[in-house]
Amino acid sequence: MEAKPAAMEVEGVEAARGKPRFRMPVDSDLKATEFWLFSFARPHMASFHMAWFSFFCCFVSTFAAPPLLPLIRDTLGLTATDIGNAGIASVSGAVFARLAMGTACDLVGPRLASASLILLTTPAVYCSSIIQSPSAYLLVRFFTGISLASFVSAQFWMSSMFSAPKVGLANGVAGGWGNLGGGAVQLLMPLVYEAIHKIGSTPFTAWRIAFFIPGLMQTFSAIAVLAFGQDMPGGNYRSLHKSGDMHKDSFGNVLRHALTNYRGWILALTYGYCFGVELTIDNVVHQYFYDRFDVNLQTAGLIAASFGMANIISRPGGGLLSDWLSSRYGMRGRLWGLWTVQTIGGVLCVVLGIVDFSFAASVAVMVLFSFFVQAACGLTFGIVPFVSRRSLGLISGMTGGGGNVGAVLTQYIFFHGTKYKTETGIKYMGLMIIACTLPIVLIYFPQWGGMFVGPRKGATAEEYYSREWSEHEREKGFNAASVRFAENSVREGGRSGSAGQSRHTTPVDESPPARGGV
Amino acid sequence: MAMARDFRVVLCTLLLVLGACHVTPAAAAGVRLSALSKTLVVEASPRAGQVLHAGEDTITVTWSLNTTAAAAAGADAGYKSVKLTLCYAPASQVGRGWRKAHDELSNDKACQHTIAERPYAAAGDGTFVYGVARDVPTASYYVRAYALDASGTQVAYGETAPEEYSFAVAGISGVTAPVRVAAGVLSACSVAALAVFLVLENRKKNK
Repeated sequence: MEAKPAAMEVEGVEAARGKPRFRMPVDSDLKATEFWLFSFARPHMASFHMAWFSFFCCFVSTFAAPPLLPLIRDTLGLTATDIGNAGIASVSGAVFARLAMGTACDLVGPRLASASLILLTTPAVYCSSIIQSPSAYLLVRFFTGISLASFVSAQFWMSSMFSAPKVGLANGVAGGWGNLGGGAVQLLMPLVYEAIHKIGSTPFTAWRIAFFIPGLMQTFSAIAVLAFGQDMPGGNYRSLHKSGDMHKDSFGNVLRHALTNYRGWILALTYGYCFGVELTIDNVVHQYFYDRFDVNLQTAGLIAASFGMANIISRPGGGLLSDWLSSRYGMRGRLWGLWTVQTIGGVLCVVLGIVDFSFAASVAVMVLFSFFVQAACGLTFGIVPFVSRRSLGLISGMTGGGGNVGAVLTQYIFFHGTKYKTETGIKYMGLMIIACTLPIVLIYFPQWGGMFVGPRKGATAEEYYSREWSEHEREKGFNAASVRFAENSVREGGRSGSAGQSRHTTPVDESPPARGGV
Repeated sequence: MAMARDFRVVLCTLLLVLGACHVTPAAAAGVRLSALSKTLVVEASPRAGQVLHAGEDTITVTWSLNTTAAAAAGADAGYKSVKLTLCYAPASQVGRGWRKAHDELSNDKACQHTIAERPYAAAGDGTFVYGVARDVPTASYYVRAYALDASGTQVAYGETAPEEYSFAVAGISGVTAPVRVAAGVLSACSVAALAVFLVLENRKKNK
């Protein structure tokens, strides 16, 4: 795609045409073919850093309340039911917001979509400092939690900026480092509170002031996105739509193909029991250690933080593991990897609920548990890009939304009111993880197989992806991207499969299959 | 390889955690409330159901020895000091596991707020005027006094009858005018920043 001088008004900070426009090597789509983690090269790496940091700030705000609960519950006179309800509210807002964000990104681009979402939910964070009743607490947590939909825009943005060989890594790191916010905040808020308290505020005022930190972080990260970000390497969305470079699909078709693909529903369910469990633990773990083991606010914060901090490497690690399994065993390897890692996570969760008699054992098991449950999130998004090509954005949004639904359900059943002690709730949650991971055995790709069944003879990736387009659309060539994707997915047949699964004897590219998101 | 790297990190973290975590918190002393003799008589100044304001009002606690009970239980020779505590009334414990009363005193969460610790006078009488602290939350309370021996272990107790008598404290909300103003201003600024950028975008588009 050459730059079209007349038709395309390029906004953003490109240099004059004719000189190399980007510091990084790019492919024909202007997407970066490399990933330089410690660089801020514009627009690719700058976008990466803005995307993960703004998503990180949303996680910080959403989970800023749990580490301060011992103070908030006394100030507002909360009961265990109030706390449980607010925890559920904090993750339920994003269920539908994640679905809507996919569409918003399609329409206005990830830059405007994410910045608008973040700036419009920031008032809820600031208003957390002036709440005076349990219902106010529930409302601010609900509206703050809606900001978690920025996951979708972050992933969308990375998929626009990075080419196939690196998009998986970019998405894995962006997703993992964003989720990190849920862990870092457990340590950050008690420290901020302590500092403000030492300066001289009474406890019941100090926690209120502490909420301004996440609020300010969120505001500034969104302003940075608006000021310095751009949707695609070539510029912002409006220009690309005008020039006709992007084919606009119809929402109805995209929706239909997403909803009728059973694999999307299964992955939405299983993601609810890795990511959903991660959100639940973010809400519950600080109070659990504070109350059960009588440690102080900061120590409980340190322990709770170590759960979320594992995200630095565990989620990207899961994505890399998925890629490695695919290179040896194809899609069947990815499916087995996901089932195994998530089931082990479930077992460790049960163990965590059982070892509540020992502080050291609880901490150790929790750290181990965090690695497995977060790696499972990375492994899930190793499979999502292959479920559908036409409705990739919506399938990703469904999976992401399913994660939040899992969090809502789990908190409602096990961590709501005084019916179960927290350690019992954790044990049953582990059992539920194991049960709800079993549906993975039902996922079957005709061209690659499933966990227990091999591929059907003669089925091809091209057929699978072309099924999503009607004869008429195929004639017009709307499915060109799907055909390219199918060719690049030959590798998902595994080592034996990659020789001749596709009807075309396309030489296997050096570039691994395009991956839409993590 | 990602898996080997993950595994090594996990193993190191495990060893670190297990090694460093010999901090087993709250070594249980094993004193049970039911095993203590109730030899102190405690009275508190608020009337039943009166509402006190944290940071403003005071509570006068008086305690004395119940001589008949003390004679039955054994002399008060071991009593070295008296510890006064503010305890959550049963009504304020409902639905709140972090305020639950336990027979095992090291696990008891109901009497979290310490009013004062006074040396035990030979005659057994004492008075203390307590200014309700600013971090006492809104709830219903009663008063309990423990008699401690030289090592600080509880050996006897007394309390205002929790089932029949309790008074309320209205805690401070913590919301100050500067906090309110800051919240309002910053919220408005966030939304305004978005509006400004959107307007600028539209201007550039129409140029």
